[in-house]
Amino acid sequence: MAKHETPMLDELVSGPWPSFVDDLKQLAAHRAKNEDNIEYQIPVDVVEDLLGILELSFKHGRTHWKHGGIVGVFGYGGGVIGRYCDQPQNFSGVAHFHTMRVAQPGGKFYKTDYLKQLCDLWDLRGSGVTNMHGSTGDIIFLGTTTPQLEEIFYELTHNINQDLGGSGSNLRTPADCIGQARCEYACYDTQDLCYDLTQEYQDELHRPAFPYKFKFKFDGCPNGCVASIARSDLSFIGTWKDDIKIDQEAVAAYIGGEFPPNAGAHSGRDWGAFDIQKEVIDNCPTECMWMDGKQLKIDDRECNRCMHCINVMPRALRIGDERGLSILAGAKAPILDGAQMGTLIVPFIEAVAPYTKIKEEVIEPIWDWWMEEGKNRERLGELMKRQGLQRVIEVLGVDPDPRMVQEPRSNPYVFWKEDEVEGGWERDINEFRKHHQR
Amino acid sequence: MAFISSGYNPDKPMENRISDIGPRKYDEFYPPVIAKNKGKWLYHEYLKPGVIVHVAESGDEVFTVRVGGARLMSTLLIREICEIADKHCDGYCRWTTRNNVEFMVDSKDKVDPLVKDLEGRKFPGGSFKFPVGGTGSGITNIVHTQGWLHCHTPATDASGPVKAVMDELFADFQDHRMPAHLRVSLACCLNMCGAVHCSDIAILGYHRKPPMLDHEYLDKMCEIPLAISACPTAAIRPAKVEFGDKKVNSVAVKNERCMFCGNCYTMCPSMPLADTEGDGIVIMAGGKVSNRISAPKFSKVVVAFIPNEAPRWPTTAKTIKSMVEAYAKDARKYERLGDWAERIGWERFFEKCELDFTHHLIDDFRDPAYYTWRQSTQFKF
Amino acid sequence: MDYEEAKNLVVEGLTKKQKSKSKFYFNDLAKLIGEKPRAAKKYVNQMVTEGILEYWSSGSTSMYGLPGTGKQAAAEHED
Repeated sequence: MAKHETPMLDELVSGPWPSFVDDLKQLAAHRAKNEDNIEYQIPVDVVEDLLGILELSFKHGRTHWKHGGIVGVFGYGGGVIGRYCDQPQNFSGVAHFHTMRVAQPGGKFYKTDYLKQLCDLWDLRGSGVTNMHGSTGDIIFLGTTTPQLEEIFYELTHNINQDLGGSGSNLRTPADCIGQARCEYACYDTQDLCYDLTQEYQDELHRPAFPYKFKFKFDGCPNGCVASIARSDLSFIGTWKDDIKIDQEAVAAYIGGEFPPNAGAHSGRDWGAFDIQKEVIDNCPTECMWMDGKQLKIDDRECNRCMHCINVMPRALRIGDERGLSILAGAKAPILDGAQMGTLIVPFIEAVAPYTKIKEEVIEPIWDWWMEEGKNRERLGELMKRQGLQRVIEVLGVDPDPRMVQEPRSNPYVFWKEDEVEGGWERDINEFRKHHQR
Repeated sequence: MAFISSGYNPDKPMENRISDIGPRKYDEFYPPVIAKNKGKWLYHEYLKPGVIVHVAESGDEVFTVRVGGARLMSTLLIREICEIADKHCDGYCRWTTRNNVEFMVDSKDKVDPLVKDLEGRKFPGGSFKFPVGGTGSGITNIVHTQGWLHCHTPATDASGPVKAVMDELFADFQDHRMPAHLRVSLACCLNMCGAVHCSDIAILGYHRKPPMLDHEYLDKMCEIPLAISACPTAAIRPAKVEFGDKKVNSVAVKNERCMFCGNCYTMCPSMPLADTEGDGIVIMAGGKVSNRISAPKFSKVVVAFIPNEAPRWPTTAKTIKSMVEAYAKDARKYERLGDWAERIGWERFFEKCELDFTHHLIDDFRDPAYYTWRQSTQFKF
Repeated sequence: MDYEEAKNLVVEGLTKKQKSKSKFYFNDLAKLIGEKPRAAKKYVNQMVTEGILEYWSSGSTSMYGLPGTGKQAAAEHED
């Protein structure tokens, strides 16, 4: 028998998509029964009360949570989000309901024995409710009490060899795409770079000294499956410099209908026979491809590596061999001055362990600049807007590159510096007056 | 309940402390076929919606079955995923960036039993626990935030609207009939702790009323300078307010400057802004993050406000469904929703999607607004 | 500068401002110490470890304060 009536939530158990309401109800019943005789360390009815308070929000159209400033475990400035219910008398099980962020493994690959360890820990010391995963990528433990935070951290680090993730003005837990683990498009080892930087910058991840949050994300190719270009302060996107590799026999097989275009992604509709001219060549944004008889030709120097042709014919076209990554900086969600996409600051850099150049010539100079000159709660992208792309180029000590802009400026208001102008700005007015009367 | 110590000693927090160890290393969790062929994959193919094969240079194949999941997940369900992975996949599984779960097997004959097992598991109310799909030119899982389940500033729920919308779009989760893939995302307030601003379709919670001021308690519960500095538009100032027979320290809000972000409420619990009628949903459309064919682009606001209609948000679900159908009917193969809207023109987009164009949809926020107005005679009647 | 000196500057500076607010951004501390952020961070980390400073988080932003100060602690039932 459920503790609270939930008529509105009950309307979300029907329909084909997995019902979180049914999932929570089963967990609530499981805890109540407690067939495994677990000595639950937080209220056994925590999930009942979670359903109850959510039902109340459905009824009121308003949240019933309050923020808490608690940050983490001792010595860490992130990894925990404090949460309290504003109806603790009626829903005592969720009076304290803090979140813990657990750093996820690269590519979100798991072995079940590890997952079961996490489940055992979270059933004993928390609500048993998780997010797999949070928006940034962490495993989210949803709902526990203050006294359990240190206990959970102790067990995570001592028994599961596992650390917390980031929150607040920290480096947030970096996240990557599946990369070379299972994708032929990946131009560098996203998981290795992600792991390497995560380990290198543990102090930045746990002890906040930035003006605001900072995110790294790693996409193996310009398809951008982890959306790094839209949501990370530094976005690492795989790319290549040399030629797309062509297997002309496979091209013929696509034309002949032996292989499904786009790896079979369009199988749900009859789009007619594959037409390489219309579907590939005419869609090429740089018009750098053509058919020469039965041979597909690419003028690779003109290619901007948009991935379309490779996506359409993965068995015929492959990424080049001179691989590395592009770095874009400053993406963020809209608040305050509007959304920003990452801006290209490094067109190409090699991505080979131990990644010294990436760390010492890009990440650390950018951080030094932002830490010194960023205002409180100013994201990197906002600082870039305030001080200009020229300043970024100066910070990185690189030469300006037309690749960094969509187009040159259309106003001529160049703020020349004195040392850029021949003879400087100091002039002799009397000398001038010799030739120009007052 | 009896307290069980983990071994942690609260009197000596630094004793035996382990810190700064980071996540587990990725390669501890690679299935053998992945570990062996990493970096040596040749190509992939969708065998049917939800089933992918990747073929390596070695000739090895890995078959992936992708299933949808609510990102809000109980340990019970994770244990069930483990049970399936133990039974079919030698104890390995993975999650995708969009909250799907993937089960991988190393030969084709293992696919059908796995799919059959997954499809047969249902919740008591009849929904699938593990619906197979989410690949190719279909509609995959919605990435989302916490909503009323856990957040203190949401303007809508997250799990509820996601369930309602995915029920509406479910056929396309299991199909490949779209012109290109279509990504739907939800953020429950404009702070977007899950960024949705580059999605084909974005569902965004939005408040429309400035915070209420609990003058009696404000100075007792909050530090006024922190509340003031939390405001991104500098709409809050300190104020002395008559309360009963005395003057109390409090704040005043310039309501017309408020952008309804809730940052003040985070710093000051005496400034709540949630409101039944004020809060609801904004629909945005036409964004993308991929560099394929066209450059990444932002989503645009196409519906300024839909009220919160718990528990199933019918207007939101219906509006999205009709946009999806208009796109599916009219766009060219490989054309993303935003590329389609730009090709036919936004005036035509509103017509084809049967959406009203209201003044709220014209940008008036700071400098970039101008660049969204039309400075040409090239438009359509 | 040595650690003790940095500590005194921070505690003194924060105590002076207690009347108006109890929570400070990292950069406020760096300014009190008068060092670049990276150098200041070492001192600040040590002050946290020694319990001289404590963190406060809005979820998205972190702040620092003297332990137990401020009104939020009571409002959040964390005192």
